[in-house]
Amino acid sequence: MIFSSYPYLVFLAIAVLAFCFLENRLPGLRRTFLVLVSLIFYAWWRVDFLALLIGSTVVNFAIGTAITARHADGKTTRPLLIVGLIFNLSLIAWFKYAGLLASSANDLLALGIPIPHLFLPLAISFFTFEQISYLVDAAGGRAQRYSFLDYALFVSFFPHLIAGPIIRHNDLIPQFSQSRNREKRQDDIAVGMTLFTIGLAKKTLIADNLAPFSDAVFSAAHHGASIGFADAWMGTLFFAFQIYFDFSGYSDMALGSACLFGIRLPMNFNSPYKAASIIEFWRLWHISLSTFLRDYLYIPLGGNRHGRFRRYANLFITMLLGGLWHGANWTFVIWGGLHGIYLILNHAWRSICRTFNFAAPEALQPFARAVSVFVTFVSVVFAWTVFRSESFAGAARMIAGLVGAGGHSHLLTFGPLAGGALVTLFALVWFAPNSMEITWRLKPALETRYRDAGLRRTRWQWRPSTATAIVFGLLFVVSVMALSNLSPFIYFQF
Amino acid sequence: MQSRRYISWFFGVAGGIVALAIAFNVIADSYILHHRAGASVQLVSGFERVLKPAWLVSIKPSLVFVGSSRARIAFDPTLVDPALHLKSFNYGVSSESAYEARRYIQDAAAQPNVKTIVVALDAFVSGSSAQPFGGGFDETRLAVTPAGEPTPRRDLWLFTSRYLSGGALGMHALGVWLLAQLGPGQLAEDRPDVFSEYGHMTPAKFRHELTRRAERSMHLTKWQHEQLLDALAAICHSNASVYFYFPPDNMAIIEHYLANDAKGYADFKRTVADDVIRHNAGCPNKARLFDFMNRNRITEDDAAAHGRLSTYYLDPIHVRPPTGLLLLRRMLLGEEKTLGVEVVP
Repeated sequence: MIFSSYPYLVFLAIAVLAFCFLENRLPGLRRTFLVLVSLIFYAWWRVDFLALLIGSTVVNFAIGTAITARHADGKTTRPLLIVGLIFNLSLIAWFKYAGLLASSANDLLALGIPIPHLFLPLAISFFTFEQISYLVDAAGGRAQRYSFLDYALFVSFFPHLIAGPIIRHNDLIPQFSQSRNREKRQDDIAVGMTLFTIGLAKKTLIADNLAPFSDAVFSAAHHGASIGFADAWMGTLFFAFQIYFDFSGYSDMALGSACLFGIRLPMNFNSPYKAASIIEFWRLWHISLSTFLRDYLYIPLGGNRHGRFRRYANLFITMLLGGLWHGANWTFVIWGGLHGIYLILNHAWRSICRTFNFAAPEALQPFARAVSVFVTFVSVVFAWTVFRSESFAGAARMIAGLVGAGGHSHLLTFGPLAGGALVTLFALVWFAPNSMEITWRLKPALETRYRDAGLRRTRWQWRPSTATAIVFGLLFVVSVMALSNLSPFIYFQF
Repeated sequence: MQSRRYISWFFGVAGGIVALAIAFNVIADSYILHHRAGASVQLVSGFERVLKPAWLVSIKPSLVFVGSSRARIAFDPTLVDPALHLKSFNYGVSSESAYEARRYIQDAAAQPNVKTIVVALDAFVSGSSAQPFGGGFDETRLAVTPAGEPTPRRDLWLFTSRYLSGGALGMHALGVWLLAQLGPGQLAEDRPDVFSEYGHMTPAKFRHELTRRAERSMHLTKWQHEQLLDALAAICHSNASVYFYFPPDNMAIIEHYLANDAKGYADFKRTVADDVIRHNAGCPNKARLFDFMNRNRITEDDAAAHGRLSTYYLDPIHVRPPTGLLLLRRMLLGEEKTLGVEVVP
């Protein structure tokens, strides 16, 4: 079920009403109810893959429980952890990467392996990663023994199920047993509705309207057209804004939906285009994925503990795999690798600045930051061309267009409308407060794990009042009316 | 307490506006469908991709026109229905792509009441794989999926498209406004100032459009050809008779096509003819192909070039609804034999 769809709105309204009723009358049934509605939510997409979700949950719970018990008894947990990791990675490798591996092997070695055409189960990347983190934490003694109901709800809780945020068991499960009084419930619903509305507006009013323009350019490049300079830049910029509003819109809707049930999901998005470096960008973009990669890949690889070279190698490997996580296409790997190189350069530059005590004078600090934000943005946008392209050839044509070495295509017209749209979009991503900053008064999310990437203060703080209710009520209606096309969220495919 | 009031106001405002929008859409939709000239709204460009799939279901026509604006402007059911003694529906949409043409043919063929489908072929050479469909197109509204399976939960999508979308609001408002301009007893053809599709091509419009379309050509790409083949495959076992036609663009424009890409133009026509012949050889449901994109009394209309109003055209590529009726008489009734050529009988 897509968040920006009528069925989801009806489903959510019914689920919230029923949950509130249970909270008052039968609080013991709340978790069972949430598991059931989450399974219905997943089954709406394809009922047959429900077995995969349930099977994966049962197996991981069994392994995790056994690991926890062995850890409590002081026995080794490594073999069971390895079994769990093999199970999860095999599942994701089979469904997500078998086709890519087979076709790549065929291309390179002419092996003639039959290419499996498997339907990618929705959310497999997300629920697999979440369960891997649980197993690793269990083996490290950082997980409690949970009831199966709690664990099943941790995996399947529908607001985060299909496209994140990637949540940790110890962030979510303790919240299931918390009760709330009437006032708290009303606050949760008010802030949840507001956040959901902001997300819906980002998706239907902005992202979906940018998609046709970026799609036209990238699709033409994929199909062999030589892309002109203006088309390449407009297509790439429109995609950069599309994915920003699509993903941040999705995150807002996920967090808002969870708030309605009194649950806080981790902040996943914090104005990443305001970042003044790539390091900062990754602390603001898909925060739950970057913290997962840091905690469960980069640090186990050695992190920064074995010298500069190992640190850079670990960064690069982490980003390559992070890229591959996004999809079974080598363009994602290259995108990850590109960000790996960016991060290495960023760390190296910081090291040089520290060594030579190089810093912009105090008076020039704002200017230096503005330049840094711009350079970071251009770097990220450049990497998006590879991310969005369906093939290397398409990416090469887009990049040729970006540097003025492409053709003279006229797919898009750079007129007052496009110019005005771009100015507005830049103003929104660079100068407007984000949804977290606007609604933080009622803390609709768990705080970011990056200590130095907190929220900025804003005067545009939302507070529940008649005036804001009218504004957001109107915004909700306009966003709902724009639900003409059922474009799925970009991150659903991952 | 603040939050409680906020929730009440939020839902009050949202619910109130949604209820108003639904009420307006229900009333406007009913008004358009029951108005004597209501079918003429099908000629109008706006958010037609949002509403036409729903109207197709409600109107239950036996004859459906599929195509780009050439078809959208050419066939007015208020003119066609009394002349041919049937109920027709204009499924034409502006700048229709090859993919949309294929999908609308599939949709029309999937309606049990549809007996005849008339398809303007220019849609198969417009648009590109880069933009496979126009804004507002949503195939969940169509009866079948691209693979020909029934669309899941279609009734829900039709309902929300028709009564809860901004596109429906816009199209309904436009339709009601247009019909409200008509006086008692008037039809769209009586008010070309309101229904501009009934206007006549002026010399100025002729010159302007000729300049604007100077670089146009007719060239069937591989992707567009695939859509055509898919469309033919979709009607192979259909109960509806299908008539394809090359639309009667004015000779002044056809000369541009020839000057810009004569081979592409010839290949397009030959490929379509070959495909239809092959289709007829292998399918129980035969298709017929007519060519009006040649020298005939419509395409040779040079009134506007000589400073007069055109009888047949709205502009060099769009024929007026009375001209559309002539095309139908030729294709469906076998009249007007001197008009166009039946390429594949």
